[in-house]
Amino acid sequence: MSEPGAPSSPGSPGVGGALDPARVRGDPGETWRAFATATRLGWQMEANWTDPFLFFVYSVAKPIASVLILVAMLEIIGGSATREYRGYVVVGSALWSFVMAGIAGLAWSILDDRERYRMLKYVVVSPSRLSVVLMGRGVARVAVGAMGAVITLAFGIVLLGVSFDLARVDWPLVALSMLLGLTGIVAVGLILAAVIMQTRQEAWSYPEAVAGALFLVSGAVFPLAVLPDPVELVGLVTPLPWWIEGVRRALLPDSVSGIGGQGSLWTGLTGTPAPEPIQVLVALFVTGVVSTLAAAIIFRAGTRRASSLGLFDRTTGS
Amino acid sequence: MSSRLFPPPACSSPAEAAAWTRRRAWAGNLRALVGRAYPRVRGLNREPSWILFEILLPFLTTSAFVFVYRALQAPPEFVGFAVLGGAMTAFWLNVVWMMAAQLYWEKDQGNLELYFSAPMDMMSVLLGMAVGGLVMSSFRAAAVLVVATLVYGVAYSVEQWLLLVAVFVLTLAALYGLGMVLASLFLMWGREAWHLTQLLTEPVYFVSGLNFPVGRLGLIGALAVATIPLAVGLDAMRQLTFSGTDIAFDTPPPEIEALILVGMTVVFTLLARWSLRALETRARREGRLTVRWR
Repeated sequence: MSEPGAPSSPGSPGVGGALDPARVRGDPGETWRAFATATRLGWQMEANWTDPFLFFVYSVAKPIASVLILVAMLEIIGGSATREYRGYVVVGSALWSFVMAGIAGLAWSILDDRERYRMLKYVVVSPSRLSVVLMGRGVARVAVGAMGAVITLAFGIVLLGVSFDLARVDWPLVALSMLLGLTGIVAVGLILAAVIMQTRQEAWSYPEAVAGALFLVSGAVFPLAVLPDPVELVGLVTPLPWWIEGVRRALLPDSVSGIGGQGSLWTGLTGTPAPEPIQVLVALFVTGVVSTLAAAIIFRAGTRRASSLGLFDRTTGS
Repeated sequence: MSSRLFPPPACSSPAEAAAWTRRRAWAGNLRALVGRAYPRVRGLNREPSWILFEILLPFLTTSAFVFVYRALQAPPEFVGFAVLGGAMTAFWLNVVWMMAAQLYWEKDQGNLELYFSAPMDMMSVLLGMAVGGLVMSSFRAAAVLVVATLVYGVAYSVEQWLLLVAVFVLTLAALYGLGMVLASLFLMWGREAWHLTQLLTEPVYFVSGLNFPVGRLGLIGALAVATIPLAVGLDAMRQLTFSGTDIAFDTPPPEIEALILVGMTVVFTLLARWSLRALETRARREGRLTVRWR
């Protein structure tokens, strides 16, 4: 036992015996435990506010409404292109659920914990890494997004008449594209989380605004070829168009390409009508790595700035 | 700032201070309105990030729908429909995020009990929120409308300017009236409020015909025109701003839709007043509404 009143440190017997190595930052077991706990907490926060049926309705209403807006636009315009584009927009809209959930999930976790529950400062000073906790919280929202995506696809196939052949699906391409694509989405989410740390409470709507802007350059609901070349180029340096292209090509092999086609940068530069699946995967990998590195740097810089300015402890309102 | 505009009268005794004349009650409510609007307007200067996130990025979202129409080689009027819809989303999002869900967030922040205990009408607080929020929303709507019109070359054809302005003002009045109703409902629904904000975006955009004439949705469109201010207001504005178009709207003429908006404004305002009174009574009786994080 230490002397009463003697200064103690985390490793001193006075505060509970020898230093627990699991509480040192960087320990893989501790990191995993923090991630798993944050995931469980995130899921509880997402799902325990109502009964499962209502939760399901709320979770799928948004993505289904999004696809219905686009399908209505196609139907009203009519013409031969609409049937061809229907599968295109259904897959793009379904995948967009992941983007919304992945980007907004991480950013909203910051706002939830700082502005509403006022726990962010405690999470920051705890031994767990903030990025790990955020990613855990984000996983729960991505799970909700995945549910929305699957339901939207099923809705498109069953009710909107999208032709889909299970036997023609390229499952390895789906799996690899999803793995690399979700990594890229989490990277974008981390960048936005770092930005949100610096802003005020009204930032609730920022993730949707960012996702909406990315929607323009992702090729989710229209081929990038219709964009001006500089804007198209902005899209091609992000992982999103490559991810959507990979999954779309895997699910609907006969679909219009979102990256290639007449007037596209891709076709202009390579002379080929659309990228091959392997080219899509390589581009997705490269853009994903660049995004992840950028996210790591920006997140670290954002965390340091927020710490030095006391922003983790700030609550705002207007 | 509001106390400088409407200074409280000097009182010589507590009894005199408690005896509020009608004029003094109005002055108090006006002070509350200005005081609640002030942080929203002032906050715009203090953190300029909203210019990027609230103006530039929403313009890009609207652009996405413009390019969908371009990919489909749609008639140019449809690009104008998408631009007008994109501009009006600013007001709808403001109503949902900064009106409907606001009382719930005020509860979480501990301000709600102060509102209920202050000598003022809650309607003045909500009106203050609306006025403050309108400033930012108007900037956003105007920016989307002007920039998108110039960039995408939208050509408007307006014959009834006065009616167009009246429809716009009535749409805002009905929208913010609905926002006040939703504010009290969201407060009672607790954590569901957050999820309701999600439910009130894309599904409402769809049934309101944000990017296309709502009349093309048939019965769903008719129901939306009868119940959602965004749907009826947007449709009336489209009819008035593209008056020479051959595109069929399949909805009542704008004069009738303006009357629908008048009806909505009256109904929503009365409903908001009633629901806030009911809420205040419940808040005072049960004391449950000030319990946070539920």
